[in-house]
Amino acid sequence: MIIEGKGLTKSFGGLTAVKKVDFHLNKGEIVGLIGPNGAGKTTLFNLVSGVYHPEEGTLSFNGMEITSLKSFEICRLGIARTFQIVRPFLKMSCLENVLIGIIGRGDQREGRKAKGEEARKLLKFVGLEGHEKNSANNLTLIEKKRLEVARALATQPRLLLLDEVLAGLNPSEILQALELIEVIRTQLKMTLFWIEHVMGAIMKASDRIIVLDQGEKIKEGRPEEVVNDSKVIEAYLGESDA
Amino acid sequence: MDNKKLWISFAFIILALFPPLFLSQYWLHVMIISLFYVMMASSWNLIAGFTGQVSFAHAAFSGVGAYTSGMLTVYLGLPPWLGILIGMGVAALLGFGLGYLCIRMGGIYLSLTTLGFSEILRIIITNEDQWTRGTMGLQVPGFFVEYSKTSYYYLFLIVTILLLIVIYKIIHSEMGLTFRAVLNDEVAASSSGINTVRVRVLAFAISSAMAGLAGGFYGHYLMLITPDVPSLGQMFLVLAMAVIGGMGSFAGPIVGSFVLEILSEYIRIYGEYHVLLFGLIALAMARFAPEGVVGILGKKWRREWA
Repeated sequence: MIIEGKGLTKSFGGLTAVKKVDFHLNKGEIVGLIGPNGAGKTTLFNLVSGVYHPEEGTLSFNGMEITSLKSFEICRLGIARTFQIVRPFLKMSCLENVLIGIIGRGDQREGRKAKGEEARKLLKFVGLEGHEKNSANNLTLIEKKRLEVARALATQPRLLLLDEVLAGLNPSEILQALELIEVIRTQLKMTLFWIEHVMGAIMKASDRIIVLDQGEKIKEGRPEEVVNDSKVIEAYLGESDA
Repeated sequence: MDNKKLWISFAFIILALFPPLFLSQYWLHVMIISLFYVMMASSWNLIAGFTGQVSFAHAAFSGVGAYTSGMLTVYLGLPPWLGILIGMGVAALLGFGLGYLCIRMGGIYLSLTTLGFSEILRIIITNEDQWTRGTMGLQVPGFFVEYSKTSYYYLFLIVTILLLIVIYKIIHSEMGLTFRAVLNDEVAASSSGINTVRVRVLAFAISSAMAGLAGGFYGHYLMLITPDVPSLGQMFLVLAMAVIGGMGSFAGPIVGSFVLEILSEYIRIYGEYHVLLFGLIALAMARFAPEGVVGILGKKWRREWA
């Protein structure tokens, strides 16, 4: 088990966004996290990445308790993420965006030149070659998403949290993005925890699916088990009248 | 820094060597004060323009530098350069403390807290007159045995250039990159492994130390320190210089300082209204041209100096 959450609860005012959720990911797995809007998916990601801290429950990464660690500490342990609404550093160049991820590792031994080289390689890896000096602000949506992936990879994570990387992309862009994710999985052998609304894509790619509804985990299992589950269908389509 | 920039900087430095040969004593004084403001506005730009922390305590930190050095030289007989170094250290420590206090605050809350700090410091200095001489002003020794504006001009020029080199190095270092990342998006920076708290406090301490240094030299040049040094009027002048010149760029605050200081000499006859006028201009600039005069003067030119 690379990461494990037990009884995670987080509320905002009167609203409980995540309610007593247990989950885990095994090394090398791709796990999809799905659920209707407002189900608490992104909140769960924010708990794992330390943006929020749970009121109840514990999180452990590689057997180490990380429940109360700060975002940057969690990142340095090996958990990186992308954001549902993209958050590249808009007023910085693409190269500088990736450099932040490299600097974020906190390794003082590497020279400046080596870091620049590595950042260039990562930009090439995600398909942004030639955009090094371009301001992140000038990128298209899919390019911004690629840049975020490059920045996340630059921190050398062992677990990557992808928050709706396919949202807002057209069908051909979705295929490109899926190719990239496949390469990340096979070449970099990374564990992926992945929120997505594009069902076809996530069902095909995931080893396991976790379904959240109104903050609670309502189903977990192999993709084909999940799609035929009555509770899941109900959560998405509403209660049947029959 | 590429060759072209290096030559341009070199040309400016050579040009800056000549003013004492032809300027009157009065205009030489204006140049020295301008250099002081260059130090103030450029170092304020480091926190406000590069990490997005709009602090109103910058003039207060220059006051910390000026009074620390002033009192050490007057009461303990320390030489001014040592007094200034200690003053800079005290400003750095206070900056570290205030920066730490403001960690969880952003935007308007940080500004209000620093505003409060600034006023408290001014009131303490005004009231503790057995040490600070209050509004009467503290008479402090100068740098040179024989008073000469030319000597002061070169002293200020050297210190300003050194300070600007340090600021340039910081902006273009990894530290500067993390400053900008925090300004751009604190959550994203933190999620990329950047210790944003450390970055912000560090920026605050460095910038405060620079204000302390500038204030120290200012005091030993004027040889009379009053609570006007750490006043909010002074603060708003520095703010206007950075904003009008162009925040977040290297050249902006330098240009802004010279332009506004020289301009304020011309409109001095109308009283202290120049701060009000500059405030209004700064407000309009912040709204309509956030990149300042330097930004307006052409993106290409700006990029080469930023």
